[in-house]
Amino acid sequence: MLLLALVVLWRRHVTAYITAFRTQSIVLAFVGATVAWYGRVPELFLVAVMVLVLKGWIVPRVLSGIETRRQGARELHPLLNTETSLLISGALAVAAYEVSRPLAEVMSLATRGGLPVALALIFVSLFIVVSRREAIAQIVGFLMLENGIALLALLGAYGVPLVVELGVFMDVLLGVLVMQAVVYHIYDTTAD
Amino acid sequence: MDLILVLGLLAPPFVAALLALVMRREPARVAWFNAATMPVSLAAAAAIAVRLARGGEPVVVGEMWRLDALSAWLAVLVSGVATLAAALGPGLDREHPAPSGEIRQFRLYASLFAFTMLVAVATGNLGVMWVAIEATTVTSALLIPLRRTKASVDASWKYLLIGSVGIALAFTGTVLAYVDFATTGADINVALHWTTLRDAATALHPRVARLAFVFLLVGFGTKAGLAPTHTWLPDAHSEAPSPLSAMMSGVLLSVALYAIVRWKAIVDVAAGSAFTDSLLLIVGIATVAVGSLSLLSQTHFKRLLAFSSIEHMGLACFGLALGPLGVFAALLHLTGHALAKSAAFLLSGRVLERYGSGTISGAPGLLATAPHTAVLFASGIFALGGLPPFGLFLSEILIVKAGWAAGHPVLTSVVLLLLLIAFGSLLVQVHRMLFGEALPGIVRGERASVPVILLSIPMVLLVWLGVSIPPPLQNLLSHAVLVVRP
Repeated sequence: MLLLALVVLWRRHVTAYITAFRTQSIVLAFVGATVAWYGRVPELFLVAVMVLVLKGWIVPRVLSGIETRRQGARELHPLLNTETSLLISGALAVAAYEVSRPLAEVMSLATRGGLPVALALIFVSLFIVVSRREAIAQIVGFLMLENGIALLALLGAYGVPLVVELGVFMDVLLGVLVMQAVVYHIYDTTAD
Repeated sequence: MDLILVLGLLAPPFVAALLALVMRREPARVAWFNAATMPVSLAAAAAIAVRLARGGEPVVVGEMWRLDALSAWLAVLVSGVATLAAALGPGLDREHPAPSGEIRQFRLYASLFAFTMLVAVATGNLGVMWVAIEATTVTSALLIPLRRTKASVDASWKYLLIGSVGIALAFTGTVLAYVDFATTGADINVALHWTTLRDAATALHPRVARLAFVFLLVGFGTKAGLAPTHTWLPDAHSEAPSPLSAMMSGVLLSVALYAIVRWKAIVDVAAGSAFTDSLLLIVGIATVAVGSLSLLSQTHFKRLLAFSSIEHMGLACFGLALGPLGVFAALLHLTGHALAKSAAFLLSGRVLERYGSGTISGAPGLLATAPHTAVLFASGIFALGGLPPFGLFLSEILIVKAGWAAGHPVLTSVVLLLLLIAFGSLLVQVHRMLFGEALPGIVRGERASVPVILLSIPMVLLVWLGVSIPPPLQNLLSHAVLVVRP
């Protein structure tokens, strides 16, 4: 999953961003299903299916919709060049391992080895958001951040309580739709 | 009884939002319904607050809803400001009719916005609280570009992005704390309930709790306008329609601080309060500095109010780190700020309407053109500057006193100096608006209409707060302090 976030850093086409996010979400759903199977948590199957439908299908479609409305260059222009971006992400990943040490020490679940990955994904996604100028790339970064948190909850505690999980899904869906609306306003007002 | 109270609190804005969705053709009726029912919400909140001020049991409904003194206090502020905004929002003023699309949008999203804030304070589940605060971003961001200008759309986007990302970090903190709690082998179905978590907090690992608190402070701090992630606030608050600015500035920031207070209480038990206090002190001072030093250079009066919000949030954050007296002073301060700032933003909407310009230099001679608005607006600014006899003077003195008592004389002096700078800047700025020669073509004169009377209520309350703290409020706030610092 971390690798897929890195894809965003070196590719510049928006379609590649969306594909990377879709693949990442599918992997997340798969991880969820695996944890559900081995951890015997049937609720997680429901969550995995919702991830698959919402983040693997609906949200990428919305993103593609935004992309077709977007005028101008197909290529995006990040603030930093590819090499620097990759180096910074490497540093962030190391930092994530360092930060998550107290966590790994107190954990007893079999999945604790994955926690640094989840934190690294959170940090790298944050970096994507701050280093891209285009709205659509920022949305993808934000969504990957959400994926990172979901991974953290999944690996750390076999998911958060279902009522919270459902609320989070609702917020993600509404958030993306609102972002879509505002981005359309941006395109409309700059076109005038 | 508890069920009725919670329903009374939450139902009015929710039903108003539903009506705005269903009755698309008659936005004016929805507006009337909204304005007429929000006082019900306020009355329910007041009833809950009175019961808790007398030392009654928290209001509990099922697993989801739980209001103690701290929640009740904030519920009163939220519903009070929402009532004021509903009464003065578009759709009710016959002299200046608004387009029906605008009325419908405002009633829909502003009601939902009020609803999500009330859910955030009324729930006893920290996960649901997070969901509700995240939802406040979504509902309010859509309203900022009510009149589609480039500046307002950009402000909305900035707010949406920074707010969402910040709040996602708060969720990371929530999940970290939850993960730690789940590993202690407790019943995870109630793990995010505030009372459960606080009672079990001694079992949490201090290092994990500290890590979680850093995420939570950055995350909710973003929504509360704390430095250095306050950058969205001046744009969003100045570009939003004035009733929405009033709600965002008057109470949304306090709701975000409330989330920090809730979590701080848990982390304090797990890891001691020294760590959280020192973080809040640093962030608080930095925020006061950013806010007060930016005041003098502002050219737009709504941006002036926005930066003043940043300053006051920083001050409240500073107060929260100073022990029980500091927490009491901070809560009192947020009360005064909610009154003064929401009234000032609503009044700034009237100034904007009169002059058609948001700049300070574009609105001179306010005293001559709109005397009632001018007097109230000036009172609001004086109150925000911390001038007696308004309530904020008293709470600022209390915070300074708490700072001295807690053994931070140097830091407190710095804050005091910054407060003086803020006071001076506000005075200079408002002076430029009140006096001078109004531009030709600006309508002169003003009747003492319903909005003017409504807007003088917060000012009267502020003066009351400044003369003495009313005993019921004193009791409520003391109980609220006991909730977080037992």
